[in-house]
Amino acid sequence: MRFDIDRYKEIVDTLARNRSRTLLTGFGIFWGIFMLLIMLGGGDGLKSILNQNFGGFTSNAVIVGCNKTSKPYGGFKRDRTWYLDRTDIEAIKTLVPETDVVTMMDSDWGQGMSYKENTYSGILKGLSYEYTSVETPKMLYGRWINEVDCEQERKVCVIGKRVYSNLFPEGGDPTGEYIKVKDSYFQVIGVDDRSSGININGSPNQSVVIPYQLMNRLNNRGGKFDIICMTLKEGADSDLAQEKVKSVLSKRHSIAPDDNNAIMMLDTKKIFKIVDNLFKGVNILVILVGLGTLLAGAIGVSNIMMVTVKERTTEIGIRRAIGATPKMILSQIITESIGLTILAGMFGILFSVLILWGAGNIVSNLPDIGETVSFQIGFWTGIAVLMLLVVLGVLAGLAPALRAMEIKPVDAMREE
Amino acid sequence: MLIELKDVNKTYFGAQPLHVLKGINLNIERGEFVSIMGASGSGKSTLLNILGILDNYDSGEYRINGKLIWDLTESKAAEYRNKMIGFIFQSYNLIGFKTAVENVELPLFYQGVSRHKRHEMAMEYIERLGLKDWAGHYPNEMSGGQKQRVAIARALVTKPDIILADEPTGALDSKTSIEIMDLLKELNEREKLTIIVVTHESGVANYTNRIIHIKDGVIGQIEENRAHDSVRFGSEGMLK
Repeated sequence: MRFDIDRYKEIVDTLARNRSRTLLTGFGIFWGIFMLLIMLGGGDGLKSILNQNFGGFTSNAVIVGCNKTSKPYGGFKRDRTWYLDRTDIEAIKTLVPETDVVTMMDSDWGQGMSYKENTYSGILKGLSYEYTSVETPKMLYGRWINEVDCEQERKVCVIGKRVYSNLFPEGGDPTGEYIKVKDSYFQVIGVDDRSSGININGSPNQSVVIPYQLMNRLNNRGGKFDIICMTLKEGADSDLAQEKVKSVLSKRHSIAPDDNNAIMMLDTKKIFKIVDNLFKGVNILVILVGLGTLLAGAIGVSNIMMVTVKERTTEIGIRRAIGATPKMILSQIITESIGLTILAGMFGILFSVLILWGAGNIVSNLPDIGETVSFQIGFWTGIAVLMLLVVLGVLAGLAPALRAMEIKPVDAMREE
Repeated sequence: MLIELKDVNKTYFGAQPLHVLKGINLNIERGEFVSIMGASGSGKSTLLNILGILDNYDSGEYRINGKLIWDLTESKAAEYRNKMIGFIFQSYNLIGFKTAVENVELPLFYQGVSRHKRHEMAMEYIERLGLKDWAGHYPNEMSGGQKQRVAIARALVTKPDIILADEPTGALDSKTSIEIMDLLKELNEREKLTIIVVTHESGVANYTNRIIHIKDGVIGQIEENRAHDSVRFGSEGMLK
């Protein structure tokens, strides 16, 4: 079999000079590739949007909250209200070696805040400098609370994005200014730009964060608080760690060991895993549907080529009469099929890449999306799809080619 | 002897077996201009198919240039057809989406001749048949006579041993028919080409130097027709 340029010119000629036939045949493949890539790219884009929502939140945090007890224990009645306190932090740190950072959180909702004539109602949060390991802030201006702020109980605050835009509508760097919350004045030391889909006790962009000890004292809570946020060491068994934390707290606060209501636990790893699985599911679905569409397209190509071969009986018969061997006819039809699938597929890739690019641009410019979102398919995905096209081309061309091979030159002369 | 047929038999096995060729014996010399004449159903098309290696025969012997044509693979048959036989059909059988010159190039393409050479040779034959200005035209832009000339150019371009013409004037008017037959006659005289014309028209047969009558699957009378006076048709330009 010869593989020279002439053979390809012959194929290109045949495809180019039967334009409507080529168009019709190629459309199925075009559509299949187009849909597959749009769905793949769209899925990736959605994932990156969602990931942005989770952005900055550590995936191995455990959040512990206190609730009313649901069982009588140690001489106490049920429905007893209890609080966490500062000594719990030290106890957990020593008794549960799986933990890395253990830090407290306190918050007051619906606090009036003001700067000059601007007011806003948000959340006042008391946090330790260590909290950054749980939720990484994204500073727009200034800095986050540090160790010194906490130790000296300095009246400083970090404000969230929405607080900032409401209290400082003209924009500009607000650090150094004083805002009033709950009859106290706090100096702004930073603006946190993070907007997260995961919120512990309220979204960071509606919050004003002050040092934890300061908050505790302002509220006269004597070291008591509601929430512990901790991160676990790399590779630690989070179920085991939670079990240990629970037993430590149960003992320290006389809670029945089998009371499932008193201590609330939230494991972010589980949430991330759910989302991850969701995307795995979506991906599988996309691939199944996409491949299905593509396969339908290939069957369409095969079908139309089958009809085409029938229609081309005379042409093929003539070719056979003047010296084409069956092998040449076979390779011609298969090459035509491959050429057609690749051509149509390339158009599909081109169009879907263009549309995904457009979608990425539009979505990235939406106000709620902070960063650039890419809807684009990867380079290797493109290559894989191209390979798939060649295989599909061969498969689609096989049946028609075999039928074309059966055509005898005499058939051409009978068909008038 | 260019063509030798010895007791060639052919039966079509359909619902009812049809014994089409019943022992054909025929010799054709190189450079002859002969016609095979018969009514429809006489077996002349079957004979043509066998002569053109388009179909197999059941028993007997068929030799071209002493080479036995028997039990050939499809590829081998294609090769023989390509190199030894040039076909001219009643319905021209040009490929519609190819220009005149491209149609002529096609047999050379299957021989593996390079593009440049192919084009050169095809143009040469196109010109010889007076179609220089029509080389870039598609078949549907040409008249019947022109199309048949393209087909003849295509048959000639591989310099075959035998030209097989199946009702070459079947689709043409009488004036064009005369032109085509004159052309075939001239090719035979000038280039010493072996031409076999299959026809049912006596006028067409009268152009040839030997007329082989076939009837009910056997060779009947073989007329020497050097004087071209076997029938009234064909003389003085009366063909149809």
